Amino acid sequence: MSRMVEVKDVSKSFDGTLAVNAVNLVLNRGEFLTIVGPSGCGKTTLLRMIAGFEVPSAGEIRINNDRVESIPPYRRSIGMVFQKLALFPHMTAAQNVAYPLKMRRFEPAQIPSLVDKYLQLVQLGDYAGRYPHELSGGQQQRVAIARALSFSPDLLLLDEPLSALDKKLREEMQLEFRRIQQELGVTTINVTHDQREALVMSDRIAVMNEGVVQQDGTPVDMYRNPENRFVANFIGMTSLFEGTVCATGDGVVSVKSGNVLLQARSNDKVLPVNTRVDCAIRAEQIRIVEDASVYDNSVFGTIEHRIFEGDRIVYTVHVEDLGGARLHLFDHDPVSHKEYPANERVRLGWNARDLFAFQAPQSN
Amino acid sequence: MRGARSKKIVLWSIIWFNIITLSLPTVIVIGASFTAGEIIQFPPEGFSLRWYQKLWQLDDFQPALMRTFYVSIICTLISIPVGTLAAIATVRYRFRFRKSIQVYLLLPFTIPLVVSGISMMIFFGEIRILGSLWPVGMALCIINLPFMIWSVSASVNALDPELENAAYNCGAPPVQAFLTVTLPAVMPGVITGSMLMFILAFNEFLVSLFLTDSRTVTLPVQIYNSIRSIITPDLAAVSVIYIVIALIAVWLLDRLVGLEIFLRSK
Repeated sequence: MSRMVEVKDVSKSFDGTLAVNAVNLVLNRGEFLTIVGPSGCGKTTLLRMIAGFEVPSAGEIRINNDRVESIPPYRRSIGMVFQKLALFPHMTAAQNVAYPLKMRRFEPAQIPSLVDKYLQLVQLGDYAGRYPHELSGGQQQRVAIARALSFSPDLLLLDEPLSALDKKLREEMQLEFRRIQQELGVTTINVTHDQREALVMSDRIAVMNEGVVQQDGTPVDMYRNPENRFVANFIGMTSLFEGTVCATGDGVVSVKSGNVLLQARSNDKVLPVNTRVDCAIRAEQIRIVEDASVYDNSVFGTIEHRIFEGDRIVYTVHVEDLGGARLHLFDHDPVSHKEYPANERVRLGWNARDLFAFQAPQSN
Repeated sequence: MRGARSKKIVLWSIIWFNIITLSLPTVIVIGASFTAGEIIQFPPEGFSLRWYQKLWQLDDFQPALMRTFYVSIICTLISIPVGTLAAIATVRYRFRFRKSIQVYLLLPFTIPLVVSGISMMIFFGEIRILGSLWPVGMALCIINLPFMIWSVSASVNALDPELENAAYNCGAPPVQAFLTVTLPAVMPGVITGSMLMFILAFNEFLVSLFLTDSRTVTLPVQIYNSIRSIITPDLAAVSVIYIVIALIAVWLLDRLVGLEIFLRSK
């Protein structure tokens, strides 16, 4: 596969603060990459540098093997869907979609059929003559997608365009973006703070925090093999507690946390004895058990909250033995399980391969 | 309950007081202009259009009206590019002396018109353009420009700052992006401002008084000159013409900026 985008050691600082810090990313033709992270992590700045609205303070950006740092945005072959869509309010849906074709000097005779094709693609064939304010939020989204794609750009950028939609429409549009992206095979970079959206839509995810890419991989990989505490905590519902390594084995370490000894996976990292570690466990991996013998790890705790979410029950359990840690866990099977009331003392069990141990950041 | 009721009474009293005090002079002048008698009075004595007819036949009236139109059009035409660009630049772009330029552009508003009038008279005299008509239009543009800038600034403030980036992203170079996206989007402000500029120039008296002479006298100055000699009902007729022109402007504004609906994206 050929490289479409290459971001190499790119940094950007605003008035002395580093928004993006030596980021490296490679994106192959046709891939869908989602950059996910909390607000202020630098993901939007990175996207705006790729679009050409910001100039990197250092590093290289290549699109189709050409350096683009000094190329103005209107000479890059990039379509973008903006956070607030930025549809041209005085133009109809069709005129919005035709605008990039006119500006990029497409054959005038060709334009109407292209406009038609892309409005069909986003299922807005009947709305060509409507102005943006006459369209619903979801329809405006579709116009913005059609406008970004009508000139067959090398690259499509999505700057959190779904964040303003309500949950149901957002989930529908996630699948719609994915369908269109796969239909056209256009290389896409999506930026979001929504980890679910990242998992649902992408071929690859890059998790960013404080201007740095924390980890970059497939959704499954990111979920199953997080490389550090931040990624483990950001993706999925995760409980964290601290511990110290007291013995090492083959891919497994023994961790002393509070006054219990736990078996955890070390993720192929060398974690010598006495290393301080952050432990992370996903809510779906913890079970409330009667018999702990089938699990590698087991602790007693007291149920603090029980939240009924319809398809599942979320328990928060206070575990005195783990230094007062709070563990979240899901119960997905309301048929066979009993519901535990608050303040009930329960036994929790999980396996070593589901408990991640990450070397704790050096505290100076 | 009692409190709510007395509040309502007070509010309505204020509203009616305002409506009456604001509209009464206009109503009286309209009434007086249709009098059949020799003097301005209200209620009018009989009904006739004789004062309108007299006005039309008056030697000075038609040229003065034409000059006023001419001056107002010049003022409006200059203010459109100057005010629009100044408003967009000072609201949208961060550059050196931005605040100072903003204050400078609003300065004419803070200076008494008498002072502006005298200083422009001296200046125009020095550069030997006093006595022509077009400098009057330019002067009116300078003193009223803040209204144009305010009007356009309001539109620029309401503009999504990403709109220009979206245009660049679509492949439009900066000038194209400005002409095809920014300018149409601030058009309601430009139209409102232009109407305002036209009406203000049409009505302007004090500065025109300093800058015109008997050959270039405009309508407001002409009215003032007539008052000094004798007050006859033809003055009421002139006033009615002014009211009609103002109403036409408001109507046009409503029709044209009805376009504003197109410009709301949400």
